[in-house]
Amino acid sequence: MSNKSTLKPVKARITDIRKMTEIENLVTIKFQNPEYAENFNYTPGQFVKLGVMGVGEAPISLCTAQSDNSELEFCIRNAGRVTNAIHSQKVGDVIWVRGPYGNGFPMDEFYGKDLLLVAGGLGIAPIRGVLQYATQNREKYGEIIVLYGIRSYDLMLFKDDVLHYFREGDAEGVKLYLSYEDQEDLVLNGLVSERDDRITNGLVTKLFAIMDEPADNTVAILGGPPIMYKFTVMELEKMGFTPEQVYMTLERRMKCGVGQCGQCIVGTGKSIKYVCKDGPVFTLWDAMNTKGMI
Amino acid sequence: MTKPRLGIFSLTGCAGDQLQILNMEDELLNLVARFHIVDFQEGSSHKESGPIDIAFVEGSVSTETDLRHLKEIRERSSVLIAFGNCATDGCVQAMRNGETTLAQRLKDVYGVEPDYYDALESKPIREYVKVDFSIPGCPVEKDEVVKAITSLLHGDSPLGYSYPVCVECKLHEYPCVIVEDNKPCLGPVVRAGCEARCPGLGLDCIGCRGPVEDGSNFAAELQMLLDKGYTEEFIMNRLRIFSGELPEDFLGGAK
Amino acid sequence: MLINILEKENLVEFFEAMQSYGEVVAPVRATDNAHRFQPVKGIDELDLDYTRTMIPPKKYFIQPKETLFTFNKEKEKYLEPPSIDKSMVLLGVHACDINAMNLLARVFMEELPDKYYLERRKNSVIVGVSCTPDEKCFCKSTGTDYAQEGFELFLHDIGDKYLVRVGSLKGHNIVKDHSELFAAPEKGDLDAFKEAEKTRLSSFTIEIEMSGLQDHLDMSYDDPLWAEYAEKCLGCGSCNLVCPRCRCYDVQDYINLDMNTGERVRMWYSCMLKDHGLVAGGHNFRPTSMERLRNRINCKGSLREEMPNCVGCGRCTVFCPADIDFVEILQKVRGDIK
Repeated sequence: MSNKSTLKPVKARITDIRKMTEIENLVTIKFQNPEYAENFNYTPGQFVKLGVMGVGEAPISLCTAQSDNSELEFCIRNAGRVTNAIHSQKVGDVIWVRGPYGNGFPMDEFYGKDLLLVAGGLGIAPIRGVLQYATQNREKYGEIIVLYGIRSYDLMLFKDDVLHYFREGDAEGVKLYLSYEDQEDLVLNGLVSERDDRITNGLVTKLFAIMDEPADNTVAILGGPPIMYKFTVMELEKMGFTPEQVYMTLERRMKCGVGQCGQCIVGTGKSIKYVCKDGPVFTLWDAMNTKGMI
Repeated sequence: MTKPRLGIFSLTGCAGDQLQILNMEDELLNLVARFHIVDFQEGSSHKESGPIDIAFVEGSVSTETDLRHLKEIRERSSVLIAFGNCATDGCVQAMRNGETTLAQRLKDVYGVEPDYYDALESKPIREYVKVDFSIPGCPVEKDEVVKAITSLLHGDSPLGYSYPVCVECKLHEYPCVIVEDNKPCLGPVVRAGCEARCPGLGLDCIGCRGPVEDGSNFAAELQMLLDKGYTEEFIMNRLRIFSGELPEDFLGGAK
Repeated sequence: MLINILEKENLVEFFEAMQSYGEVVAPVRATDNAHRFQPVKGIDELDLDYTRTMIPPKKYFIQPKETLFTFNKEKEKYLEPPSIDKSMVLLGVHACDINAMNLLARVFMEELPDKYYLERRKNSVIVGVSCTPDEKCFCKSTGTDYAQEGFELFLHDIGDKYLVRVGSLKGHNIVKDHSELFAAPEKGDLDAFKEAEKTRLSSFTIEIEMSGLQDHLDMSYDDPLWAEYAEKCLGCGSCNLVCPRCRCYDVQDYINLDMNTGERVRMWYSCMLKDHGLVAGGHNFRPTSMERLRNRINCKGSLREEMPNCVGCGRCTVFCPADIDFVEILQKVRGDIK
C-alpha cells in the first residue's frame, strides 16, 4: 500500500448511507482512484483511519470481506467529533482514508476449524467482517457459531445479516444465537416465539448455556467491550478453550495507526504493545501476558 | 444560507473579553460577516429579541439581575459559551467565597446590610445554567476564540485545552521558572492555551486561565510550593485569584 | 572504524568547515541548569562542555508542532509542505541523545517511514561529543553512554585534542574534504582516549540494575508505590516532553474562518496527560494519574528491539517541577531501596 507509510490519506466518496440505529450508520465509500481500490487488500479485524478535513480522523473497523474492494462499508457510531462529522455528511461527499492498519484476524490459520464468534455492542462490526469472510470461503471452515448480545432490538446492528442467520443460518452451517437485556422488547420477545433455542434474555454469556457444545478445534473470536471479554473468557476457559484458541480485538485511542504516536500503548515493561500495530487482534495468551490489556 | 444568530452578553466583570473580540482587528470583519449579531453591548447599541444560535456570556453571576439575565439568555440560546474567566471560574470577585459570608463581606467592605444591594455571592455561570463550552482566560485568547467560532460554524465542537501550561512551555523550550528559579508558578495546574506567555517572559504563571478540568493535582502543587518556602496563605490566594470557585474536593489529591 | 585526531587549536577551522555543510546547531547555555540546541554563527556562541539541554535534539527531526498538510475542502485537495532541502549540522550531541535518536529512527525511518523525519535526517550531519556525567546521569546503566552509530563524526575529548571517530561515509567525506585539519592518531592519543574513557566511566554516581528490570516492573504492577508517586505528580507532562526517547504525538485539524481551508497539525504529546488514553464516547483506558505514571515508567523500562526505552539522560528527573526522581522509582521497583 503506497500510502501506508505516511500520514497521507487518499480520497474516497460516500456512495451510500443507511441508518442502522439512532446513533449508528452504515456508510459505504468508494475510492476515487481505482488503482488504490485494487491494491486495498485487507483481512477482517484490520481498521482504517477515516477523516473529515477540518475535524480529524478516527479509527474505524473494516466490517466487510468483499473480494471487490472498490466499495467499502463502515459501521459508524456517532460518538465523538470525527464520527459526528461523518454522520453529518451526505452521499457524494468526500471522505479521506488511510490504511488498512493493524494485524487483523489470521483467517488462514483458522482453516479447517470451527469458529465461535462472540460479539457485543459495536464489537459486532469486525466480527461481521469475519463472518462474511468465512461464509464467502465456506469450504475452508467448519461449523460457525455466532453469539450476539444486544440491549434491545433498536440497538441491533447489521439487522439484515443477523436476522438472516438467525432464521436461515443452519442451511449455510451458521448457528446464530441472540441475547438481549430489555425484557420488554416486543420484537425480540417475538423472536423467542420463533426459535426459543437460539435466543435468550440476559447477557451474551448466558448463551453459552444454550449453545451446542463446540468442537475441540474451535477458535473463539471476540468483539466487544472489555467487560464482555472478561466474562466471556471465563466461560470459554470453563469449556476448555486454551489461551491460544481465543482471539479478541481491542479498542484504544489511535492517532497514527502505524505505531508512532504512542497513544494506544498497553502493557508493562515486560509486555509493551501498540494496539494499532501489534494488534488490534490479540490472543488470550497475549492478554494474559500483557497487564491492562483486558 | 441564513447566518447564525450570535449574542455576546456581559454579566459582572470588566467586559475585557468583549473587548478582546473588538481587538481582533484582522479577523473582526470576516467574523462579523458570518453572523447575524443580535446583541453585542460593547460593539453596538443595536439589540434584538428572539432566539440565539450561539451566545457568548462573559462575567460572573453576582446579582439577582445577572441571574435573571443569564436564565433568559439560556432560554433563548441553542449553544451557550462561558466566555472568559469570570464566567468559567468566577475570577477575582469569587476569590473570597467560602471564607466569610456574603453578608459579612457587604458589612466589612461597604458597611451595609445584606439586603442593601441585590448582590449574590459571585459564581461562575455553570452554577446556574447548562454551559455547552468554555473559553477561559482573563482575558480570553483571541486565537482560541477564532478557533472556537470556526469549529462551531463548521458544525464541530470547539477544542478545549485539557492539558496544563507546562506543555506549552516545553514546546516553546521556555526554561522552567519552577526548576530554574523556584518561582511560585501555577503552570502545572492551569489550562494551557496562552502559549505560556508569562513563563516565556521569565514570569511565573498566576493562573489566569483557571484550573485544568479534572486533571489538576492541586494538593501536589500546594505541597511543592510549601516545600519551596511559600506560605499556604500566599499559595491559596494565588490559586483563587482566577479560580475563585474551586471544586469542593480540589485538594483531594491525584486524579 | 576510522579514527582521526583533531587538535583543539583547529576547532575554529573545524567549526567553519562544518558551516559549509549547513546551518550549525549547537548547545548554548540557556540557564543555570540547562543548555539549548540552537543555531550558532560562531564558535564563541556554543558550549561543548555542557551537561544536558532541556529539550533534546530530537526537536530537529520531529518538531514540537508542525503542519502535516494544508487542505482545501472545496477543491478536495491537500498539500504537504515543500520538501526540506535546508541542511543542518547538529554539533555537540551526547551519546545518550544519539542513541535516543537511533531508537526514534527505527520508529520513524524504518518500518513505516515518516517523510518529515527521513528528509530531515537525510539533510543533517550529526557530530557527537563526549561528556562527563553529572549526578543525574545514568546512561551507563541503560547501556547508552557510548554511541556506536547514528553520527557522522564523534569527538572524544582527550586533553588538548579530540579523538574523532568516523561513523558514516558522509563523515568520512567531511574528514577527507578537510584533511588539513586532521591527523592520524598516534599511540599516545589512543592511550589518552582509553584513560579518558576510564575516567568518564568511573564518574557515574547513580545506577539502575537493568537485569530483569522488565519482570520487576511487571511484578510491581499492583505495588502501592505508583499511588505514592502519583500523589506527588503534578501530571504536567514535562517528563515526557523533555525525554529524548518519548515520541508520542497528537494530531489536530484546524479550519479557517472561510470554512474551506485549514491545516492538519502534529504536536508532541505526553502519556501523563489525561486525554492520552481517552477514546470517543468518553471511556479512558488510563483515567487516573496513578495509571498514567505507572504506564510511563513501564514504557521507559521496556525494551524495544533489545534497546531500553530510556537512555539515562536524567532530564525527566532534573526538569520535574515536583522533584520526582526517575531512578529512585526504578530502584524501588527493584526493591533496592524502600
